[in-house]
Amino acid sequence: MQNENLTYYPLPQPDDLDIREKEDAMGAYFMMFAAMAIGLPLPIVNIIAAAVYLFMDQTKKSRYVRFHALHSLYAQIPVTLLNAGAVTWVLLVFFRDYALTNIFWGYIALVALANLTYFTFSIIAAVKARNGQFFYFLFFGKLAYHLAYRVKEDNKTMVVNQPPKM
Amino acid sequence: MKFEIQHQERYSRGELLLRTFLGFFYILLPHAFLLMFVGLWGAILQFISFWIVLFTGRYPQSFFEFQVGLMKWNLRVNSRLFNLSDGYPAFGVNATDEFTNFEVEYPEKLSRGLLLLRFFFGWIYVILPHGLILMFRMIATNFLVFISWFAVLFTGNYPKSFHEFNVGTLRWNTRVNLYLYFMTDDYPPFTGKE
Repeated sequence: MQNENLTYYPLPQPDDLDIREKEDAMGAYFMMFAAMAIGLPLPIVNIIAAAVYLFMDQTKKSRYVRFHALHSLYAQIPVTLLNAGAVTWVLLVFFRDYALTNIFWGYIALVALANLTYFTFSIIAAVKARNGQFFYFLFFGKLAYHLAYRVKEDNKTMVVNQPPKM
Repeated sequence: MKFEIQHQERYSRGELLLRTFLGFFYILLPHAFLLMFVGLWGAILQFISFWIVLFTGRYPQSFFEFQVGLMKWNLRVNSRLFNLSDGYPAFGVNATDEFTNFEVEYPEKLSRGLLLLRFFFGWIYVILPHGLILMFRMIATNFLVFISWFAVLFTGNYPKSFHEFNVGTLRWNTRVNLYLYFMTDDYPPFTGKE
């Protein structure tokens, strides 16, 4: 993703960051527990919480915190979709008498594995963020880095007011 | 912790009547509606903070400031609902108010042992004793709010001792909440005094 046309802000080193930034960055990964916190087993709650965390007080957030908030938010999307599928399927089994097929059990196993993997890597990322370090998830790491650290070109063109055409 | 609601020299009778008859619509409804969502966010941060304190021994400062801001907002609304202040409470966790003041010192370190003690046994040694006394104190507070309503209506003054007692109830309640929300390690005293 990093090509010659794009420039990026330099990454901060652990000693450059204050404890507040490190803790805020760590907090982003804990948004995966949001649904648990309010007692609603709806996977969408986690993703809403991660988005709220990203956009709340956005002007006060440093690039470091924004990177981790984006990282956490994007990494949650596939797991949330898988979880939403599982919740829907389980509800169909309970209320519409769908059969408990091998495909169902296979899907549940896949969802459990995906959640476990996501949980493990999120904890690793949270610990690293608390220490002022970076940790890049597959694909989402590059994406979050690109969005948080890319130097955006100032495309503002000077507006010149013109008289009406005669 | 600093918790104050200023005792005004004069209270407005017009505002008192307005709050009494329409306060539900123009104070309680809009504030409660927003506080419900902000409170949900507060609950999420609270849950996450528990784990962070457990593993690091520190309450994230920005989470702490948010929770204090949320408590300030509640305080502003409560002070109007209890007729302890005139004026309209400002919206938002970063807003300020001329009549109320609430400050909590940020704790650099929190005890993980106390955190677990509160989590498992908080209901025995905090909620039960404090809750029981606060329940009776709340009844007394409501009674004094009722009497003070007439005092303000006829004299324009809120009896100072009643004001102190009612503010004390809110202060006591806030101290208990701070302790239960893992925001301080100091056990709340059984008093509403400063």
